[in-house]
Amino acid sequence: MKVVQLPTALLLTVVCLGCGTTAKQPADRQAETPQAIPDRPEKLEFAPLDYQPPDPADYRVQLRNGPVAYLASDRELPLVDISILVHTGNYLDPKGKEGLAGLTGYLLSKGGTKSLSADALEERLAFLAAVLTSEVTDTQGNLRLNLLSKDLDEGLAILRSTLAEPRFEQDKLALRQEQLLQLMKQRNDDSANIEARDREFLAYGDAFWSNQYETEASIRSITQDDLRTFHRRWFHPSNFVVAASGDFDREVMREKLESVFADWPFAGDEPPAIPTNAVFASPGAYLVNKDVNQGRVSIMLPGVMRTDPDYFSIVLMNRILGGGGFTSRIVNRVRSDEGLAYAASSSFPGGVYFPEPFVAAFQTKSRTVAYATSIVLEEMKRMASEPVPDAELETAQRSMIETFPRAFASKTAVVRRFADDEFTGRFQQQPDYYKDYRDRVAAVTVADVQRVAKEHLESRAPTILVVGDKLEILKGTPEHPEQLQDLADGPIVDLPLRDPLTMRPLPQ
Amino acid sequence: MNRSAWKQTTSFLLLMLGCVRPAVAQQVPVQEHALPNGMRVLLVERHDEPSVSGGWVAHVGSANERPGITGVAHLFEHMMFKGTRTLGTRDYKEDQRIIQQQEEVRSAIREEEAKLRAAWRRGDVEDLQNPESKSPRLRELEARFDELVAAQRELLVKNEFDRIYTTAGASGMNAFTTTDLTGYFITVPANKLELWAWMESERLLHPVFREFYSERDVVFEERRMRTESTPLGKFTEAFESMVWTSHPYQWPVVGWPSDIPAISKAEADSFFATFYAPQNITLVLVGDFDARNAMELIRRYFGRIPKGSTPPPDLVTWEVPQLAEKRMNAEAEANPRVTIVWHTVPFGHKDFYALNILSEVLATRTGRLYKGLVLGSEVATDVTTSPESRKWAGTFEISAEVREPHTPAEVESAIYHEVDQLKQEDVPAEELQKVKNNFAAYEYRRLSSNMNILLQLLFYDGLGDWREINEGGPKYQAVSAGDIRRVAKKYFTAENRNVAVYTRKPAPASEEAQPQS
Repeated sequence: MKVVQLPTALLLTVVCLGCGTTAKQPADRQAETPQAIPDRPEKLEFAPLDYQPPDPADYRVQLRNGPVAYLASDRELPLVDISILVHTGNYLDPKGKEGLAGLTGYLLSKGGTKSLSADALEERLAFLAAVLTSEVTDTQGNLRLNLLSKDLDEGLAILRSTLAEPRFEQDKLALRQEQLLQLMKQRNDDSANIEARDREFLAYGDAFWSNQYETEASIRSITQDDLRTFHRRWFHPSNFVVAASGDFDREVMREKLESVFADWPFAGDEPPAIPTNAVFASPGAYLVNKDVNQGRVSIMLPGVMRTDPDYFSIVLMNRILGGGGFTSRIVNRVRSDEGLAYAASSSFPGGVYFPEPFVAAFQTKSRTVAYATSIVLEEMKRMASEPVPDAELETAQRSMIETFPRAFASKTAVVRRFADDEFTGRFQQQPDYYKDYRDRVAAVTVADVQRVAKEHLESRAPTILVVGDKLEILKGTPEHPEQLQDLADGPIVDLPLRDPLTMRPLPQ
Repeated sequence: MNRSAWKQTTSFLLLMLGCVRPAVAQQVPVQEHALPNGMRVLLVERHDEPSVSGGWVAHVGSANERPGITGVAHLFEHMMFKGTRTLGTRDYKEDQRIIQQQEEVRSAIREEEAKLRAAWRRGDVEDLQNPESKSPRLRELEARFDELVAAQRELLVKNEFDRIYTTAGASGMNAFTTTDLTGYFITVPANKLELWAWMESERLLHPVFREFYSERDVVFEERRMRTESTPLGKFTEAFESMVWTSHPYQWPVVGWPSDIPAISKAEADSFFATFYAPQNITLVLVGDFDARNAMELIRRYFGRIPKGSTPPPDLVTWEVPQLAEKRMNAEAEANPRVTIVWHTVPFGHKDFYALNILSEVLATRTGRLYKGLVLGSEVATDVTTSPESRKWAGTFEISAEVREPHTPAEVESAIYHEVDQLKQEDVPAEELQKVKNNFAAYEYRRLSSNMNILLQLLFYDGLGDWREINEGGPKYQAVSAGDIRRVAKKYFTAENRNVAVYTRKPAPASEEAQPQS
């Protein structure tokens, strides 16, 4: 896609027509009565900043033909941005056809429509400098159109035919299958990819739906008919949520969208609930041998849902531990104090459909893997055993409260966030989420932080994943006595690499 | 943002071509100021969200280094977050005293490290990075150094520079180093502009480069992560280095593995004195502020930084013209791939615009390389192009992943075939217009956020002239089919190219794929 390419050269291919508004000014004189500059920034005083978040109700529209839409007019630039979220996902891949949802999502916008061949569609979009992309991820389908507002009607017609009458051309399917096979061959090349995959295996279990990987056999078995069936089953307006922002009149856009979704040529199904039967791996150290000079470590524990009553306490606890960048303890110790890692952090995301794990992760040279791991484990223990100083909690709270307006930094960000909440059910479950957000952050106490640390970081010993040069990692380093085998509460388990084309374990 | 604040001009070029409705171009209304100490200031007011993105660019990058201290510009970028006289320590004087003691131990360590390198040259030591290679004397010195670090830590207020900003609601603090420039940026709530002025002027006026040696280790881990542990990182570095014969672009921004652990704090200090003087720095603010108030703050805070005593030296080395094709054949843990790099022109050169248009004629899903190699002959699975005009010199890269069982040689010759077409025949008007339409639309898309505009100004100013943000557009639209033919003939020659051919490294016998029951 042309316009997808431009941003890669973003800073060198910028275009502007007509010039000359800039006024070069002579060297400025010093201010006449300079005020004293304080020696510490805390002595500065700031005017209050009053900010009220946008209210979803001001943007929400229930369309007659199915979808809920969030619409925001923004006349700043002559552009329109439209996103369609679709209730579908990789979790709906039939057994043996793993990769079907992803292929359908990709080819929806890349395989032509009833009236336009794939090549003609691409040419037309490129000439209009319009961006049309589509994908299906684990739990969501996405179609996005960004174009100049002068082309809106033609763009909406293309959007409609893409969603309702995709062609899924055979040659484009064959090409995509080949491209996916090439991608698959790289599965064991980068240690970061191995780590990401094995985290999922350990956090959810081999049998969980998200760990059913596409294979050469499953990709080769997928036909045009499979795509058509998958599409007609789920891509129905009753499964859509819409976000639109940009250079349009709200009422006009509403009517245009009504016609986009009118008279759908087929009836869809309501997708089944997303399965939640995950199984977390036992405590211990799991090692994948890979010939690289830096080990990648993930220290994992079972996580929570984002609707957990303690969610805000957990988020703040994690910020203090490792989620707050340079103000967090893991970064301070592993990176700044010891120089053991460039990247070190922890995350404790609340799951939307099922609990997502706590992960503390870093990369360090093979010989210091054990030592750095011991430091992170120590910091995790300290969160539970000692109350955090007030100042540390306050830093985390103030940061969340003061950066809150950034979540709504543009009209596109506003409608996409609200559409996402509509899609995932937050709008229905927690209608005042944003209204109450800052108060809920401010309400968290030092005792809350310690309580959730005890509950979630000490409930059991962690599952530790290490990807790297096994022999070097197990040697440790002469300066520090820590050994990986002593840190893990459980055996060291060798995890096999998997055949990239079948995902079957390789002999070690 | 108030739309009326932005000057709109109609593109008469597009009107004359009549292919699309007139595009309306938007100027970025930049105010430029200069302080008496030589620092320059660029301001862009935008009032659509209550925040200000602020940054500055130092006109220095790895190209300003020399062998032995490669990586110092980037290491320096890390050191700029280590605090000031009042931020980061409880006792500045004692902190300074300990740093001085640390430096004395470090010079003894450097002597031991020189002996270690001598032993390695003789073959007495196999691996310089192996901790077992260290002499007893070196271990003893390192232990003494660690004691001094522990003493200093008693006084440290860890990452206080970051903590002050974070507590104030600042976000996205980061920095980047390229071969040509070093940029620092952050977003602050609109009412905290004075905090930004305080923090940024303090770290330029009173920086303290504490924790220098542990940060050097952090940078080495960054090198391991980005370059040494990735499938193509080491090879890309070697290839880049092969492309440049005389020019300093031949060493990596992160630095050679020999140099990163050898850079001394004294070298970093002298680097700062030369390249971080106010006359070598440009400030940029984009967002919700009043320009007059902002300039008053900037004069007050940044005006106190004294002008540097020596002007940074100009870079005089130019790349000697390439006489013959250079080629690298590599076996890597990666899919087969061909990458071709031609020498072209630096930023600001008049041929830059035609090369960029040409790049888009070739790239993209409706471009000639994709149609020819991916959809047509099906020898490749993906093709990319990258015209890169840096401050001192430029290149043009085409890279394609081989679609097996085709060979890299087939892909390479297919690329040359498409490039030769551009030398022989004019690009048809409709095809050229398609590319230009996308440049025109991008003119709006680039204005989507304060940070996006800030980064463009940092880059353009660092490369040579921020005015490119408003002057580049018409130059792209003015490129003709004849220009494209001319630059294709001029730069895409056999003797001017560098070719990297990657094939997959065969797996060791024991790892061969065999299903396990």
